Amino acid sequence: MAETLNAYLGRAGGRPEDGGLRFVDRAERERWMGWAEVRERALAVCGGLQELGVRHGDRIALVFPTGPEFFAAFFGALLAGAVPAPLYPPVRLGRLDEYLRRTARMLEVTKAAVVLADVRVKRILGESVAMARPRFGCRTLDDLPRADGVPAAVSPSDLALVQFSSGTTVDPKPVALSHRAVVAQTEILNSFFVDTPELRHSCVSWLPLYHDMGLIGCVFPALARQAELTLIGPEHFVARPALWLRAISRHRATISPAPNFAYGLCVHRIADAEMEGADLSSWQVALNGAEAVAPSVLRAFVDRFARWGFRPAALSPVYGLSEAALAVTFSGLAEPFRSRRFDREGLSRNAACEAADGREIVSVGRPVPGFRLRILDEAGRELPAGRVGRVWIAGPSLMEGYLDDPAATARSLRDGWLDTGDLGFLQPGPEGAELFLTGRAKDVVILNGRNYAPDEIERAVDGLPGVRTGCAIAASWLPENAEGEVLALFVEAARDASEDDLAVLPERCREAVIGATGLAVDRVEILAPGTLPRTSSGKLRRQEALRLYLSRALTPPAPVTPLRMVKAMARSGLAYGRLRWGRAGAGPRE
Amino acid sequence: MSDEVILAGIADVARHHLDWQGPFTLDMRLVEDLRLDSIRLLTLAAQVENRFRILLDEADEAGIETVGDLVAIVRRKLAG
Repeated sequence: MAETLNAYLGRAGGRPEDGGLRFVDRAERERWMGWAEVRERALAVCGGLQELGVRHGDRIALVFPTGPEFFAAFFGALLAGAVPAPLYPPVRLGRLDEYLRRTARMLEVTKAAVVLADVRVKRILGESVAMARPRFGCRTLDDLPRADGVPAAVSPSDLALVQFSSGTTVDPKPVALSHRAVVAQTEILNSFFVDTPELRHSCVSWLPLYHDMGLIGCVFPALARQAELTLIGPEHFVARPALWLRAISRHRATISPAPNFAYGLCVHRIADAEMEGADLSSWQVALNGAEAVAPSVLRAFVDRFARWGFRPAALSPVYGLSEAALAVTFSGLAEPFRSRRFDREGLSRNAACEAADGREIVSVGRPVPGFRLRILDEAGRELPAGRVGRVWIAGPSLMEGYLDDPAATARSLRDGWLDTGDLGFLQPGPEGAELFLTGRAKDVVILNGRNYAPDEIERAVDGLPGVRTGCAIAASWLPENAEGEVLALFVEAARDASEDDLAVLPERCREAVIGATGLAVDRVEILAPGTLPRTSSGKLRRQEALRLYLSRALTPPAPVTPLRMVKAMARSGLAYGRLRWGRAGAGPRE
Repeated sequence: MSDEVILAGIADVARHHLDWQGPFTLDMRLVEDLRLDSIRLLTLAAQVENRFRILLDEADEAGIETVGDLVAIVRRKLAG
């Protein structure tokens, strides 16, 4: 039984049946890299790093797109006894200065000894590297000295990886995971996919390799099982979602995970013609995690893709977080997903009572083997089933902590239990208590499977004419019948705001937010000064503001689909354009 | 290929792949005016490459803020 990721790599065989990686490009050309080849290339990188002077436990930042170099660098770092820290590459056509600033910060936080990047990214990273000054600078793999690698001895308690929690945030938290934790999570995941003489499991993933569901969820389990893993770069998937489903069909994959929004993208952006000849019947497990699961998206996906053999029972909502390495609960993989309706008024009082016309919530299932779960109230007392509280978990793949941040670690980890920051409740199920999530206690905004800090969104509107300084709240939630989370901004108007300023304020806010953060706000609510709830010390109460907003409406907010959102934005854009160009007429109104 | 034709091609990409229904002019900023978040920016970049059969790299993309900037880089790439 392997105890470290290095041991898994050590066992890799070189025959085609020993598994490996298959990279698919935008034109569906494929390139194979067996696990033994991964080891060979990693050994070369290991030698280069050792020759450079990298020491045991040093952090190695990596910035690579999905491709063979990522793996050579990642496993090369591990073989050298160092700790890889995958960072994200720049967004296309995006804000370079923001990216460089964020990357510099992440480099500082990880105290990376060196940054390994591909040749294109290295050109851009100059400023980040100058700011953070890693010991050995930034290198491409070709820049490394040539030397024979000597795999270092690594123990289960050594760090295996620094995983930034789920994507881009202002304040990305570096989750430090030991080999023991990562191996435990890998074994947990593989326990669900046992090969038989008739069936060898294989996975297809388009998820970024700097995302826990992409790396820990797909790569390590395939390596451990010496199985096949087909990878599509996320940039290709987003440009052409059909690539994902076609790859599953072509390679008869049994497993593929994705965040909720990806299933929605497929429903709306894949043409029938692209699915010609596709057969999705091999796909046994379609995991849905990393963000809130919308039941309407699940149903729409089944409706659309059943005709190409997609099995409804494949859809499996799951729950996890980087701080637990990944998976915490899985719903029954061979059963249709379960959802129930709960009385809204009861939920607002933290009680879950089933009601025929209540809010529909999807079950994310039961704790995976080795994990335990408790629902606690604010005072830390355990709650019985049917009561909403904070979700705490304990299990064999918990993080060591947030890297070099004992204070943040102490806030989340206590006596072997982790405060997930999520709210939910347990309900009895046919095979044991099941978890239903209701929202987040942390104010973190999760959109498209990534975390964002609300205060960055809120700061973006400070200083706009008509906005009361420091009086904005950003919050996201999953409305009923919606396909994805909606982002709202509640803004207090300044007391002396003019009519003209107020008329264009929603548009100005949207523009400011997307300019500063890249996020599109769905709803902007302009409120009278003093409306937003505050604590006794004057701090804004985000969760309370959201609760008030949601419960004040007599009818639930209208369902928001991606198409509607973009059309609404386009209409506002048109109206805003009129104003900018000085034509008379009504200003944009919500 | 004239700038008008390039602009029309990019506008077509925006309407077809990004559901953009509004006006489409050279001075519009990709992020603020077209409301392109990171996923839509990825989509725009990839589909513009497909449409014009060119390849953009990070160095090309670093300075692109408006539709006009995008037209200019497409024109340059087509000129070879």
